[in-house]
Formats: sequence, C-alpha cells, structure tokens
Amino acid sequence: MAADPAMRAATTRMLLVAIAAGAIVLPLAASDYVIDVAITILSYGILGLGLNIVVGYAGLLDLGYAAFFAIGAYTTALLETLLHVPFWATLPPSLALAAVSGIIIGYPTLRLRSDYLAIVTLGFGEIVRIIATNLDITGGPNGIYGIDPPILFGLQFTSPALLYGLAWVFLLLVILFSFRLSASRLGRAWISIREDETAAEAIGVPTLRVKLLAYVMGALVGGFGGSLFAARFGAIDPTGFTYLQSITFLIVVVLGGMGSMPGVLLGAVIVGGLPEALRFLALWREFGFAIGLIVLMLVRPQGLWPARIARRVQLPEDDAGDLSFAGAEAKWGETLLEVKDLGRDFGGVRAVRGVSFTVHRGEILSIIGPNGAGKTTVFNCLTGVIRPSRGEIVFRGQRLGRRAPHRVVALGLSRTFQGIRLFPNMTAYQNVLVGMDPHHRVSLVGEILGLPSARRDAQEHLGTCRRLLQFVGLEEEAGRRAGDLPYGDQRRLEIARALGAKPELLLLDEPAAGMNPTEKTALMGLIRGIRDLGVTVALIEHDMMLVMGVSDRVLVMDHGALIAAGPPAAIQRNERVIDAYLGNDTEAEETAGTEEEALWES
Amino acid sequence: MQAFFQFTVEGLTIGAFYALVALGYTMVYGIIRLINFAHGDVFMVGAFLGWTVLVTLAGMHLPMAIGLLVAFAVALIGSGALGVLIDRVAYQPLLSAPRLSILITALGVSLALENGVLLIYGPGFLTYPHLLSSAGFAIDGVQVSYAQTVMFVISLLLMVALYLFVQHTFIGTAMRALAVDQDAARLMGIDVERIIQITFFVGSFLAAAAGVMEGLYYTQISFFMGFLLGLRAFTAAVLGGIGNIPGAMAGGLLIGLLESYGAGYISSRWTDVFVFLVLIGVLVVKPTGLFGERVVERM
Repeated sequence: MAADPAMRAATTRMLLVAIAAGAIVLPLAASDYVIDVAITILSYGILGLGLNIVVGYAGLLDLGYAAFFAIGAYTTALLETLLHVPFWATLPPSLALAAVSGIIIGYPTLRLRSDYLAIVTLGFGEIVRIIATNLDITGGPNGIYGIDPPILFGLQFTSPALLYGLAWVFLLLVILFSFRLSASRLGRAWISIREDETAAEAIGVPTLRVKLLAYVMGALVGGFGGSLFAARFGAIDPTGFTYLQSITFLIVVVLGGMGSMPGVLLGAVIVGGLPEALRFLALWREFGFAIGLIVLMLVRPQGLWPARIARRVQLPEDDAGDLSFAGAEAKWGETLLEVKDLGRDFGGVRAVRGVSFTVHRGEILSIIGPNGAGKTTVFNCLTGVIRPSRGEIVFRGQRLGRRAPHRVVALGLSRTFQGIRLFPNMTAYQNVLVGMDPHHRVSLVGEILGLPSARRDAQEHLGTCRRLLQFVGLEEEAGRRAGDLPYGDQRRLEIARALGAKPELLLLDEPAAGMNPTEKTALMGLIRGIRDLGVTVALIEHDMMLVMGVSDRVLVMDHGALIAAGPPAAIQRNERVIDAYLGNDTEAEETAGTEEEALWES
Repeated sequence: MQAFFQFTVEGLTIGAFYALVALGYTMVYGIIRLINFAHGDVFMVGAFLGWTVLVTLAGMHLPMAIGLLVAFAVALIGSGALGVLIDRVAYQPLLSAPRLSILITALGVSLALENGVLLIYGPGFLTYPHLLSSAGFAIDGVQVSYAQTVMFVISLLLMVALYLFVQHTFIGTAMRALAVDQDAARLMGIDVERIIQITFFVGSFLAAAAGVMEGLYYTQISFFMGFLLGLRAFTAAVLGGIGNIPGAMAGGLLIGLLESYGAGYISSRWTDVFVFLVLIGVLVVKPTGLFGERVVERM
C-alpha cells in the first residue's frame, strides 16, 4: 500500500485506466462464454452496490434482497409481453414498484432490532418468490419467456457484446448513484445510525425515515438490476429469485467489504468469477466455493477491501460568516423550559418523583446530586429518549408530549451524553455535520444530481462546520477519526455536534468527566462562550469547582426529588444539600484518609 | 371439527421437530448473537448419520430397539461433535470481528455441509428403513399413531431436560451468565470458549435427534432437507423471542400448527406465505417476539 496520498491517488488512477482499457478490449478479444461471465459479474456489481446501501451504509441486515430484483424483472417482463411496452419505458414503472415494495417491507420492520430484520426480510423475499410461483399471470413455475430485447436506434441488444455494453452503462449509473448517495447528508445519516442509532436519534437524525430511505434506495437499484436481468435472458422464472440468490448478493457485499464501493465490486468479481475458475473441480466446485468463502472470511474478516474513512477534508477558509443562533435575538430571562411535576418509574423504582423547575433563557443552570438521584433520567425525559410516567414538559411554549427525540431536537433542545456517544468511525467533522444535517435546506435530489445550488450549499455547510470545530478548539482535528481523539477532545466534539443542531437549550451530561484540571478550566470558558452565543445551558456535573464557578443557578436532586434550588453560594451553605451530597470538610478528609490507608495495606 | 383436530395432531408432530431445532438457533443466538445458518444442515447431517447406522446394521439382524439406540447415539453425538468443530473452526476466530463476517462463514459452513453430503450420498432422496408401524389409536375419529405419540413425548422430554439443564446446573448458569454479559462472565472465571462449545454441542445434539426422528417419520431424506426445516425453525425461534428457551419451544409448536392449518385450510402452496405473514404481524405488534423481553438501554 502506498502511504503517500498523492502516490495512492496515482495508483488508483492507473488501476482505473487499466480496468477501463480491459473492459473495452474484452468484447473484441474474448469468447462469448467469457463475455457472459463478465455480464454476470457486472450484474452482481449492480446488485451488490444496491444491497450495500442497505447493509453497508445503513447497517440493516437484509436477507430478502432478491425480492426487489424479482419485482424489477417481473415488471419489465410483464409490461413487455402483455402490453408490448418497449424495454426503456418499463424502467420507470419497474423502479417505482421496487421503491414502493421497499416501503412495504421497510415500514413494518423499522422498529425491529437488526437481528429480527434478518427473518422478516427473508420472509418477504420468500413471499415474493412464492407469489411469483403460484400466480397465473406471472407464468407460475415456468415463468415468462419471449421478452423482447431492448432496442436503441434500431439496434437490438441480443449479442453478448451489446448486452455487455448495456450492463456497463447500468453499472456506471449505479456507481454514480451510490457515490453521490454516500456523500450526501442521507449517506452520513446512514453511517451514523449504523454506528449508534440511539445517539443519532437523540442528536436530531430522524432515524425511522432514514432507515426507510435506505430500503427504498436499495430497492431502486435492485429493481433496476432486475429489469436488466429480464432483458438479458429474455426469459425469467422464480428459481432465479430464491433465498440463495439473496444470500449470494449478501456474500458479494460482506466478502468485498461492507460500505466500500471498490470492495463490493471486487466481491462481485470473486462471487461471479470464482465458480467459473473452479470448473476444474467438477462436482467439487460448489464445495470448493463454500470452503473458499470460509477461508477468505477467516483471513479477512473485515472484507477484502474494507471501507476507509474519508479523512481528506477541505473546510472552506472564509471567515465571512459567523456562528449565529436564534436565541441571540430573543429576550433573555424569559421562561424557556418549564418542567411540571415530572415523574418516571422503572418497574417499582421511582427514579424521578415529582420534579418541577424552570429554565430561563440565557442562564447557565447546573443540576447536581449523588449518583442515582435521577439527574440523567430527567435529561432523558426532556429529550424524549424515555417517556415520563407523569408530568408535563413545556419548551418554548409547546408541550413536548410524546414527541420523538429528533423532533425535540428540531424544536431547539439538544444534548450530549454521560458516556460519550460519538460516531467513532466517522471523522470529527463528519460527526458535526451529522448534527447539522437535519437543519439543512437542500433537497436530496439536488444532492444526488449534483446541482450547483446543492454544491454551493454544501460549501456553506462545511463553513459552519469549521466554525463550530474552531469554537470548541478542534479545528486541527477535523480529519481525525472521532474514536481516536483523546477523551477531553471527544467531550468537546460532542458539544460541537450538539451545537450543530442550532439549539436554544443545550443539555450537557457530565461534560467534565475524565477531564484534567486544565481542560476543566477551558471547559468553563467554553460553557460561558456557548451562553454568549445566545444558547441557554443546563448541565449535570459532579465537579463542584466547575459547577460553582460557571452556574447562575444550581438545582440539587436526591432520591428522585428536588431538594434545593438557588444561586451557587446559597447552595453551598444549604444544610440539606451538605447532608445529602456535598458533605462537610472533616468528613471528606476522613474518607480520603481511610482510602489511602487501605491502599497502603494492600 | 374432526379435521381441525387431525390438523392439530399433524401440526404438533412436525412442530416438535421445529422446536428441537429452534432451541439450537435460540441458544447460540442467546450467547454469541449469531444466527447460525449452518444449524439446519447439522439437523440434516444428523438424519444422514442415523440413516448410515441403520442401513449398516440392517444386515446384522439385531433387535430393532438396539439398532435405533445405536443410530440415535451415533447421530446425536456425531452431530454434537460436528457442532463443536464448526464453532472452533469457523466461528471462534471471528467472535470479535464485524458481526456480519461471522454470518458469512455460517453461510459458508451451511453450503459446505450441503455440498459435502451431496458428494458423499448423491443428490437423490434416500429412504429410511421402515421401522415405524402406522398402528395407533383414534379419538372421535382423529387418528393418532403410536409413533407420533412416542416421538412427541421424546421431544418434550428432551426439551424439559434442556430446560432443567440450563436452569439448574452450573454449566447452565454459566450459559445464562454469558448471555447477559460475556465480559463479566469471563471476569467471574467462566471459561467462555468452553461454555460456547458446550452450547454448540447441546444444540446440535437436539437438532440431530429431530433429524433422525424426521427420517424415521417421513422415511425420505435429502441433502437439501435442512434448508427448509432450518428456515421454519429459525422463524419459530424468532416468533417465540430469540434467545428465550421456552419461547423457542412454544414457537416451534406454533409454527408446526400454523403450517398444518395453513396446508389444511388454505393450500400447501401458500403455507409459507401464511407463516411469514403471521410472523411479520406478530413482530409488528410485539417487536421482541411472543416471549422476548424488552432491552432497556442505558445512556
């Protein structure tokens, strides 16, 4: 592997030129048999890339992908043979039907855990195949034959060489589609839910819709491949769309490398070509293929050509724009959030019992209290991650009710997590972009078509992203993998990601945990800076130096109830708070002493 | 009404086989979160091992009971060992790899077993020795054969034994601990790899029992028999709530009944559509299966 990026780019270019040259020469030089194998490989490439959208990008297991392939093939076949529609005109209905079936399969499965998806998608694939086998209109087990080949300018696509060219055109279109998708905000959202679905939802990604779109986009490609299949063979029957076929597409994706386009194409070459190369094994061929598959997976569990993180980033340098937040113009001091008698039970445990408080615009509010006091549960209720058992939450004059977390974020309430929940396999700037994306105006179609307006907007978007990273002091780390950042940097990156949602109220759950004293001091500055942008801040924290130094007001919780509220100085003198949480100095020293003793004894 | 009860009898018989195989899916899923695609094929290998023993012994004029006992012993232990071997070779090295790669080796093992058996035994159907008489009894015109009864009882006994094993032995406790938190189990001194192997042994053992019984009952076996049955058994495991042992048992019987009613009242051609629609319906209403528990996530 060439370490130098420039050299690597040159190698890639040469490889592409070699492939293009080989692809053009092939139909002139090779036998019809070889061309036929090549078409098979190209078809696997198309379907592999389609399935890769679902499995590789969005991380949803799909064992029934052949269903979409079948729907595309049957649509084209039926329209051509029954209604004599020319091949090209069958493509739009074929894609439309596949997309609709993507919604049909996607919708009921969206709330399922990924493992259950396996069986539901498998069932869907089987249902489609059985319907095709049993209905008269689809020709039953015999299928449909006599499908006319595509005709373009009087040219009939019957010869292997012409079909080969057609397959290349289809594949290139799918590559372009897949590439644009992966670079779009939808592509980023898919990766984010693959990395951590709960966190994605909590920072504003509409996870259900995003997952549904993964099925729809995958289905589109599947239907497209199906139409090509019908045109290629002129006849189709249900045996071409079995569970084994779905499995084969999955092997293409996983063997090559999930989420990696070159990997999937390499997987297609192996799955399409290896059985042909193993012909000398005669009867042992299938067995040899199975063993080869196991060995390849054992040697390269991450796939033959695993996806790489897009590290290169050109964040625009202009400083024209400023970080702007809606809250800046609003009236400070007015009620932003009102919590009334909030309660939450877990089984018999009453984690939060009747908590009421308000947050005023422009203040920095801390919630403190011993572990298990219910602080994080309050945050989870506010952000819609869990449903309150009782009580009411009013934010900016609107009752939050049973709103999904991403809709709470859309209202202007975003958060960070106690245990860091970044998307570790995305770069720092991509993490921030995922936080920003839900508020992005540009249409997805514009992004896929690469319209100038979409590009301009993406540039602007990256500019805001850079300013956010600069604001938390991570501009230099933009291209690094989030999981590789030091602890303190990860905390600050989470804050930048949450700010990306343009919140009016930012909830920070133990932002100083794991930070050293220098970082904590810097964090205090950062929190004040956030407030100065016009964003109200509420935080949960155990570090009293930070809490007392930064807060305008402090709430104290113990055993699920609010036991005190007031400015820091008053809280420090409050007897109940000292008993429940702060402790007095002598007690603290004694405990420290015993700990030290114990350490020496061992 | 008589037809209904007849379908019920058929459904419970086949459902008991599904339940035995479903247990293997659910146990393996419970501890290493793997959908073991090769499991249906282990069931198939069990049927072939049993067939081999029975055919070999057929010339030796042994009492039928001894022949059956040897066949069961060889098939069950042989398949159990095969399960352990599969785990060692194809799954253990990938336990910490991306989850889908282990799924692909499972598919590879499945293909290898099917094609291996195909190479050894050929592609056609093999006929099991006809050892079971069709004698039986009738209740209100509903026919129940003794063979059906005995096999159903054996299946139930195996399931009860498994349940007691998992609930009341040290190894069973270790399995349950592993299912909850593998790292914590390791820190408590549990030999995780060995427990996983035992799980594979037990699951394969039960599947082979179903395999031999299916061979005896339907008298025809083929290298492809594991696929369809595995699919149904996996469906059963999910229906009951994957990872849940009593759920797999109930799910197996339920799928057997659904299939039997579907074939009886609708058409055998649409049975699978019927079964899958019920499954999807159940999962939409209760996403963790009939007996599955909600997983609460901490943040």
